[in-house]
Amino acid sequence: MKDFAIFWGCTIQSRFPFLEKSTRMVLDGFNLPYRDVDGFTCCPEKSLVNNIDRGLWVLTAARNIALLDKAGLDLVSPCTGCVSNLATVNSELHLSYKEKEKVNSVLHEVGLEFKGKNKLSHLVPFFHDEVGIHAVKNKVVKPFNGMRIAIHYGCHMIRPSHTLKNDDPLEPKKFDNLIKALGAESVQHMTKLMCCGQGLDRVDQHENSLHFARIKLKELKALGIDAMTLCCPSCYLQFDNNQFLMEKEGEKLGIPILYFTELLGLAMGYKQEDLGLESHRIDVTPFLEKWNRLNGELSHVSDLNRELEEGFGIAQP
Amino acid sequence: MESLNLKLLEICLKCGACYHICPSCLNMEGYDPRLVIKDILAGQYEKWLKSKSIWQCLECHHCLEICFQHYGFENAMTAMRTLAAKKGTTPPQVKKGWDIFMKTGKLGEPTASARKKLNLPEAAKSGAEDFKKIVKIYQERKETKERLKTKD
Repeated sequence: MKDFAIFWGCTIQSRFPFLEKSTRMVLDGFNLPYRDVDGFTCCPEKSLVNNIDRGLWVLTAARNIALLDKAGLDLVSPCTGCVSNLATVNSELHLSYKEKEKVNSVLHEVGLEFKGKNKLSHLVPFFHDEVGIHAVKNKVVKPFNGMRIAIHYGCHMIRPSHTLKNDDPLEPKKFDNLIKALGAESVQHMTKLMCCGQGLDRVDQHENSLHFARIKLKELKALGIDAMTLCCPSCYLQFDNNQFLMEKEGEKLGIPILYFTELLGLAMGYKQEDLGLESHRIDVTPFLEKWNRLNGELSHVSDLNRELEEGFGIAQP
Repeated sequence: MESLNLKLLEICLKCGACYHICPSCLNMEGYDPRLVIKDILAGQYEKWLKSKSIWQCLECHHCLEICFQHYGFENAMTAMRTLAAKKGTTPPQVKKGWDIFMKTGKLGEPTASARKKLNLPEAAKSGAEDFKKIVKIYQERKETKERLKTKD
């Protein structure tokens, strides 16, 4: 596998460093060749910068991509927005020679050049495509058998599909496949692809933002799921933090929100305190308790499954 | 922003397929980009610039995915937001975010104490300095271009 730069983005590092922690733990656990690269800025956020100054949005993203060209590295990010923004600018510049020249005439002044030769991936499709489902299964020491998990893809993991090209934009499968590989049931729900609505908080429409969060959380509550999983700091902010604000106002929904890397880390046998789960605003204990209980009850089933797979599966080197 | 393709928008108005997949249309009372597009085509979009509506497009790209023209509502809404920003009628939070971005090249910085507590390595260096340099060049060129335009 080619070495890759890990692009943390602003939100994870400034607000949720524990998500960086769990991401590093699983990347280390799989021995993946990631590197921290100096010099990145904000991706930048499309809904902020592009609305005000399109040229600056393109230029800033192109500069981040040019750093990859200089270092000869692919990019992987646990933030959907970052990947979507970078990939969109990347493909726009590949389509417009004129715009590319314009951007490069500025970047040359700081010794950089946009070539856009490297792959830009979100962590979830990266695990699915590059690490592979089989390798993920092999790392699971404590599966989520019997656990009912609802996946929230997050819009920008899969859309716009003409730039990301990593899954079906209206019927994605990869995140589902990974969660199933961890042994859990991926519970299908009406609002699975609905936008989290966090963007509304950034335009001074907090009540509307809560309205969006409420629609999804209420559906999941009715379905009796054990947790929601996602892999976007903005969606995380919406469902953990805003759910907590609703809880403080007396509207308790109690849906634990787990980042993909946290679920993966738990399944790999890492301790909840090392993964930083105590930093969550919504208590994840009910999820962990049920999981521990089921693992005791169903451990004989896991053994059976392991034996079946060993007996009939294709041996991997 | 790139100029709007009014021919495509005319077809948008007759189609409206994305209205039935757009999360804001489905879940927020009164939100309907078709009304905005209608006014754009009639040359009477001014009233939308101060509205809450134009900021309720979440840029989820559902409309883009389902659109047979690959155009969608979002282009019209982005155009309105860009014009609103030019006239200084953005929501306060947007202005705040923009100022932080222009000052630091980022929307938030890592905190050393939190990293230490989690046993995380020192964060990689920010590219703020180079960012400021390219912003300066970019803005100077933009101003020159606009000056030349007004001379014409």
